[in-house]
Amino acid sequence: MVVVQTDDFNAADLTAQLRMRTAGLAGALVTFTGYVRDYAEGQNTRTLFLEHYPGMCEREISDICTQAQQRWNVPEPVVVHRVGELGNAEQIVYVGVASAHRGDAFRACEFIIDALKTRAPFWKRETLSSGERFWVQQRETDAEKTALWGTDTPSDTTRPA
Amino acid sequence: MSGTAINVLYFAQVAELTGTRLETWPLTEPVTGADWLVQLESRYPQLAPAKRLKLAVNQFHVKPSAIINPGDEVAVFEPVTGG
Repeated sequence: MVVVQTDDFNAADLTAQLRMRTAGLAGALVTFTGYVRDYAEGQNTRTLFLEHYPGMCEREISDICTQAQQRWNVPEPVVVHRVGELGNAEQIVYVGVASAHRGDAFRACEFIIDALKTRAPFWKRETLSSGERFWVQQRETDAEKTALWGTDTPSDTTRPA
Repeated sequence: MSGTAINVLYFAQVAELTGTRLETWPLTEPVTGADWLVQLESRYPQLAPAKRLKLAVNQFHVKPSAIINPGDEVAVFEPVTGG
């Protein structure tokens, strides 16, 4: 399940629903929640604005989930990502993965959020408490971490023939 | 979209720099992404160096060597920062 929305989400409800859908099959359930934080060192973030590319965004995340399902035993991962204006400490993203075993659930959850950070077309614009605004730059460490997973780097080979 | 143009979408800082989010761009012959980015930088010098930018064609990430064809939807943006 992939959802991109402006509204906040209830992480506990999403986890409970995933648990119900996979009851009896899943011996492990791993979730990740990302929050708005102070991105610039020594400066307070007032708000974060998230822009996205509708259509491509949902498809990229769905592709990432499909890749996770092909690689590990993880039925129907859940990804909810917010867009629009978010205040400091608000929730941005939720990833929920259930599996028979914890290893698959941990790895698939980390793979999904790593790949999302370098493939899903979202862009963050930060506004500091001083009023200064700027677009957040992708961190090299994010690209390097995604590359470590091997097969999920953006490439024209991912286009349909 | 006919076979004589592409739809170009600009996102985030690129949209701010070009002052537009969507435009029709005349294109009658296939062109590589790298060559098209040179044309883009010529039209919008404020995007320089345009080769730092990423492209998606028909909503899939592509490398600069990918071919853009008339009728395609081309998106231009800086590296993504979601999550």
